[in-house]
Amino acid sequence: MDVQTAACIGAGIAVLTGLGAGFGIPIATGKTSEAIARQPEASGKITGSFLLGIALAEATAIYGLVVALLLIFK
Amino acid sequence: MSDAGHAMTISEKIVEGMGIKTVFTIHAFGFDVPISDTVIGTWIIMAVLIIAAFILTRKLREIPKKPQLLLEAFIGFISDFVVDKIGHHGKDFVAFLGTIFIFLVAANLAPMITPMGGFGFEPPFVIKPVTRDINVTAALAITVIVTVFFSSIFYRGPKGYLKSLFSPIPIMFPFNLMEYAIKPMSLCLRLFGNILGAYIIMLLIEAVVPVAFPPLAGLYFDLFDGLIQAVVFAFLSTMYVAEAIE
Repeated sequence: MDVQTAACIGAGIAVLTGLGAGFGIPIATGKTSEAIARQPEASGKITGSFLLGIALAEATAIYGLVVALLLIFK
Repeated sequence: MSDAGHAMTISEKIVEGMGIKTVFTIHAFGFDVPISDTVIGTWIIMAVLIIAAFILTRKLREIPKKPQLLLEAFIGFISDFVVDKIGHHGKDFVAFLGTIFIFLVAANLAPMITPMGGFGFEPPFVIKPVTRDINVTAALAITVIVTVFFSSIFYRGPKGYLKSLFSPIPIMFPFNLMEYAIKPMSLCLRLFGNILGAYIIMLLIEAVVPVAFPPLAGLYFDLFDGLIQAVVFAFLSTMYVAEAIE
């Protein structure tokens, strides 16, 4: 197995970080909908913390993508 | 094998689309400054926004007409949001954070006005998102963190700033320092990774299903993702500033 093949397999493994965001963001979205249904007048504040949360949850997936890109186009 | 040849063209297309070309080089003060296509794209967006700002604010009236009403509603929305998050110093940051938001919206949505190609003819020009270059997003993130640093010193005073580095307990000092590296890095990589990822997926879709599907997918990957990322970047910048000066 040469280096390029190994790097491509490594890039595929790195993109598995998307799993975390894929599980995390739906949970956050569901809880946000629940919270807004329970208290519609607080929807502004809930949306704010929701955006902050999904941005942080998504960061891991993006780091995986960046690592994969670095591995392929180093 | 014909399949391998086909795959090769797709990967070539992606590498070609991802690549950032140097358009020309400026020779100044003994340095060679390469000017890439993303820098030129940034300049064009800046010029369009500045000209739009001049034209839209030229004839402001006491009793507004339609364009001015829309403008007032939009600026009012940004202003209310920033003031609501930051507090009574919020007015000082409306211009900065609003400019970042408007620039990012323009930069992320600019690729959508690329004319359609296909059926054997090439589109006359192709607009690629400028935020697919990590240098553009890094510049924005560094601007934000420098603003956070200096506004923190300015509004808390040097003494209050030093005290805030050791809060809530002194052992947090190294972590508080690390935030100045982590915050811009995550801001920069989030925007870059999202836009580049969406761009690569759009290239893939266009290479595999060239007819009918790309505009539909573009609604999600270009319009929705671009808007969300602009909102998230501006929102996180606002939160960082709010945290720094409270």
